[in-house]
Amino acid sequence: MKEKDGIIDCPQQQVILYVEKEDGKYEPMQTGSYITKNFLDDYELKRRHLEESLQKKVLSGEVSPIYYFMVLEDLTLSELASRAGFRKRKVKKHLEAACFQTLPVETLQLYADVFNISVKDLLKLLVKTTDESDNTKTGS
Amino acid sequence: MSTVTYKHKMAAHCESGAVTSLLNNAGLEITEPLVFGISSGIFFGYFHKMKSFAFPTFIVRNKPGSIRTNLAKRLGIKFHTEKFRSADTGMNRLDELLGKNIPVAIQVDFFYMDYLPEWERVHINVHFIVVVGKTGSRYIVSDSYFPKLVELESSSLRKARFAGGSMSPKGFLFYPEFIPKDIDYKKAILKGTKKACFNMLSIPIPFLGIKGIRKFARKITEWPSFARDIEHLSHEIMKINILLEDQGTGGAGFRFMYASFLQQASVILGKPEWSEKSKEMMEIGDGWRNISLFASRIGKNRELGPERLEELGTMLNSRADAEERFFRQLKNSI
Repeated sequence: MKEKDGIIDCPQQQVILYVEKEDGKYEPMQTGSYITKNFLDDYELKRRHLEESLQKKVLSGEVSPIYYFMVLEDLTLSELASRAGFRKRKVKKHLEAACFQTLPVETLQLYADVFNISVKDLLKLLVKTTDESDNTKTGS
Repeated sequence: MSTVTYKHKMAAHCESGAVTSLLNNAGLEITEPLVFGISSGIFFGYFHKMKSFAFPTFIVRNKPGSIRTNLAKRLGIKFHTEKFRSADTGMNRLDELLGKNIPVAIQVDFFYMDYLPEWERVHINVHFIVVVGKTGSRYIVSDSYFPKLVELESSSLRKARFAGGSMSPKGFLFYPEFIPKDIDYKKAILKGTKKACFNMLSIPIPFLGIKGIRKFARKITEWPSFARDIEHLSHEIMKINILLEDQGTGGAGFRFMYASFLQQASVILGKPEWSEKSKEMMEIGDGWRNISLFASRIGKNRELGPERLEELGTMLNSRADAEERFFRQLKNSI
């Protein structure tokens, strides 16, 4: 790839691209991310739709907020179990709305740490009525 | 706690970037493509179903950690490495090393690097950063994916170093302990290239190397059956672009960086024919770049019917053919 073809103006996300410089040498160049520059809005749209559909499921009592974040963060059941420190069987239960209600705060904290949110953020999902743009990562 | 004189430089990839940066700061002049090539970084693997991935995925580099181990073996460098059972011990040890002004590379879960934009951060336990100092409760971090030194809160670093899940970091850290004065680059380059050719052509596992690209080309038409809906499929198809371009590859799934390695190697070895090979690799890389641009476009336009996916498969097959030819010729030229 020639240097001029690799120039992408995207200050939000910088990457290193190896390109052919004018002297024929293949060297690194700091440039912007192609996909972030062109398709970030599409990513955000899809994420918002996913959040809305998951939120509906949580509010209707179909799934628990743990399920909401598991899907949103692209984690599998076994991955979440291993990260939170529970057996898969137990996590499967925790994904159910009914079981979620009975969980102690200490257990919720373990999940919140995995998702990098606070326990409050987890519980907030149960009472939210209006759609909310993604701003759940406030740190725990 | 410690004064920071560390020279930060962005790099294409986190592991080769962290290793290169540590070595450069320790006084060894070596480029990232050389580190990548000598450690046989170039690779391909396709995973259709795995319990740690929610969707089929692929890799374009060798096993995490092997850039360091292969490089150490081939250049005679010694890295001091440590893993910890307890997070407290791991964090104390890091502080102790920083107190002695030793920059330390650590393995972390990428998700907790909160200085990066949110859309970039995913749960992946094999990100490498260099910690170069500490001010109060914040660590000063040199991350190859960020243009300058950044600060990271101690609580985030702790979570990132001791995240569970597959390939969990367990607080892993390393730093160079010994760098030999005379390094035989020629031997190391030949060994690294030979191993790369073996990895691409001869591993007898049907989803690794060239066979992996072919399997990817074949299986991509089955991706819709894994997706929740069209938007999920679009997201996953567009991730092809991210995996090939944005997740620290130097473009085209490391193929551009490998071309740069071959160009530098041809000078070191005095093999002008490798300069031609590097041009060829750059062209192969252009083909990969077209795949990532195509994937992002069809993903955005939701053109994800069987014809489009088959078209993507054909493009992947042409990369498999080109790379098979390329690595066979490269192997013969060693």
